[in-house]
Amino acid sequence: MASRSSNLTHPPVFRGVGRSILLTVPIALWSLLMFTPAFQHAGRNLRIGAVAAILFMTALFFLMMRTGETYRWRRIFFVALGFLFPVGFIASLVAERGTMSIPISRMVSGDTPFCFMVTPSLLVPAAFARTIIFPGSILPTASNPHSIAVMIGLWFAFTLVLGKAWCSYACFFGGIEEGFAAFPKRRRLHKFITRWGSRLRLVPWAILLFVVLGSAVLFEPVYCMWLCPFKTVTEFPAVRNVETAIQFGVFIALFAGLVVALPFLTKKRTQCGFFCPFGAFQSLFNKINLFEIRFDRAKCVDCTLCQTTCPTVALSSESIREGKTLLNCMKCGACVDVCKKDAAVWHLKGTPVAVKPERARLLFLYGAWALATMFGGSILANSVAAMIGFLPWK
Amino acid sequence: MAAFSLSACAGEALVLGLATGPVCLASCGPVVVPWMLVQPNGVRVHSRQLLLFLTARLAGYLAFAAALWLVGSTIPRSWPGRSWLFGSVQLLLAIALVVYAAGFPRRRCALAKPSTDLVQIGEASPPRSSGALALGFLTGINLCPPFLVAGVRAAQLATLSASLLFFLFFFAGTALWFVPFLSLGFVRRTPALVTVARMVAVLLACWYGFSGITNLIERALYG
Amino acid sequence: MRERLQSVLAYTGAGFMLLVAVSVPFVLMPAFTKVVGHAGVHIDAAYSGGTIARTIQRPGYRIVVYQPVQPRLLEQIEPFVQIVFRPADALPARVCDEIDLDGDGRPDVRVAFAVPVDPRTPLRGDVTALNGKYISLANVAGESFSRLMVRTENGIVVRVPLNGNLAHR
Repeated sequence: MASRSSNLTHPPVFRGVGRSILLTVPIALWSLLMFTPAFQHAGRNLRIGAVAAILFMTALFFLMMRTGETYRWRRIFFVALGFLFPVGFIASLVAERGTMSIPISRMVSGDTPFCFMVTPSLLVPAAFARTIIFPGSILPTASNPHSIAVMIGLWFAFTLVLGKAWCSYACFFGGIEEGFAAFPKRRRLHKFITRWGSRLRLVPWAILLFVVLGSAVLFEPVYCMWLCPFKTVTEFPAVRNVETAIQFGVFIALFAGLVVALPFLTKKRTQCGFFCPFGAFQSLFNKINLFEIRFDRAKCVDCTLCQTTCPTVALSSESIREGKTLLNCMKCGACVDVCKKDAAVWHLKGTPVAVKPERARLLFLYGAWALATMFGGSILANSVAAMIGFLPWK
Repeated sequence: MAAFSLSACAGEALVLGLATGPVCLASCGPVVVPWMLVQPNGVRVHSRQLLLFLTARLAGYLAFAAALWLVGSTIPRSWPGRSWLFGSVQLLLAIALVVYAAGFPRRRCALAKPSTDLVQIGEASPPRSSGALALGFLTGINLCPPFLVAGVRAAQLATLSASLLFFLFFFAGTALWFVPFLSLGFVRRTPALVTVARMVAVLLACWYGFSGITNLIERALYG
Repeated sequence: MRERLQSVLAYTGAGFMLLVAVSVPFVLMPAFTKVVGHAGVHIDAAYSGGTIARTIQRPGYRIVVYQPVQPRLLEQIEPFVQIVFRPADALPARVCDEIDLDGDGRPDVRVAFAVPVDPRTPLRGDVTALNGKYISLANVAGESFSRLMVRTENGIVVRVPLNGNLAHR
């Protein structure tokens, strides 16, 4: 076990205020650039929302630089995104049509906003029949700016840059779970995770194969129709017969169980780690993504604190022995921040492990935070604007 | 002349089978994929299992062809028995998937080594002919759309042997579409893959079970 | 030497990723949208209604008849034909039209509905099949993708199921 005082491979990170500010300046400028259209064209509420988003994202990035920690500050952004997105989204639905349910007329006219979760289901029909099995529009329209091309483009860019870190920096649904997992002080079902975690983390792959096969043969987005818990906080097909009534019941139950109750009891992102087929799909891109988390075996004392802390059970004894995470690692940084021996480090593939890990972390964070500001930050701004709109003295 | 009309009939059946093969594949493929993934890898094992599956599927086809011809009719769209049959077959398929693909209940060997969570359900099943036969037969009588189209044509033929021959060639046309499944024999069987395949089998069983029950309830309620 | 080359490539790749990240809103998104637009993919006909077959002119409005839509593989829809009356604003208060759907010169269905003044008021109407190829619908609104009468921004969309279906949703 190498002594921590030997800093030949891992020098201490200088976290001075000046340096932190300097490192934050690019993000601050980027945020200003992203929200310039809001200042030029939007109303007062959205301008306030934009200012709030700029300050919020910049401040969190500064704190990441100042403290050297990633997970805690990322989580604040992510939970805010998770809880505020439904606010803005539902407000816009209610304002437009008075209900969260999607009437069939909107599906028929291609006005359903595209959700990235359906992407794996689309692949086989699109590849073999050139058909998109989603009631949206391919290109953006006035009534549907969240078209298939736009959303898939966003997803593709995120995935190229971040791999499965999409699940830590973009997916607002994960933010909801992370919020519920953060509430309790201690976990109550620890033994459940220890005993079943290694098996449960394969369930998303099974669901992925199931929805891909099912969507290919039924020519309908099986996950959206039957399994998506997040219709509870976004929109859902209007209940018009027994089948849609059953679907309604299923997604409410899944949301209550997987997104609220189990994260609260286990302090894990149970929907993300043990159910979400899109997460399994994203895991594939970790194979080609440049950024990862590795373990310096010379420093690791096998305390398993990282394993206990990991929100999606992406670490096993075997993988840590090999110095790696499992394929479903979403690069949230929890294990790096909790490791007392600095054995868990950020790593750029192709470079030596644990040599200048802070450089790898910075390169990763700049890309991640730039995209998070562009995507999540704009959602936050819109949600804040919507909330201001609710105020009686607006 | 008889030989010509028989060969024309066979040709028609073969072409119909080839043309509607993708739909057959869509019908049976979701059953075949997880079931084959829980078998040990190896093209020889897979060839045997697929052959048994297809043979049992053919038996299902021929049994139905014979019944159709003897009844002397097609299956009318409004035939109430269709839902009963559909529902029952789907329920049986769900059970067969759980037993043969998911592997429940599992036979526990007294000498089984203590395992990590994945090893037991992650072990490939020894190839069981009964599984191939059961799944093949049940998918064969599942009344998929191409089957019904072939049934309409077969029921119009003059003799029982012509009807059976029609279904034989129809089956051959659809069976060609199953050949690519042999490539699953090359996929390396890791405990994780086998576990995932078993889980998919359970999910499919839930789907078929749900479909079967709703069909039966619908028929019971609405007649 | 090899390790050095790997490191250089790794940092170059990381820099490229950063470039990708910042070019998303300015370059990548417009380019990607264009590429997808030219990819030749289309929305499933069960949702979009298929391709246009013919347009029938009426005084003040037109009736767009679409090609029949058949279920693909095991798609759980009935075959149907979509008809769109557009523009909705130009329609008379009550519409009752006999429409030739298959282009053989003889009317196949009669569609009748009252157009609500308020666009948000739910729409209901009747479709009467004039021959055995189609199925009549009474007081239909938005039952399923194969049987509906709804108002959209495009106009009043009617979907008439074809006879000879095996399953419906």
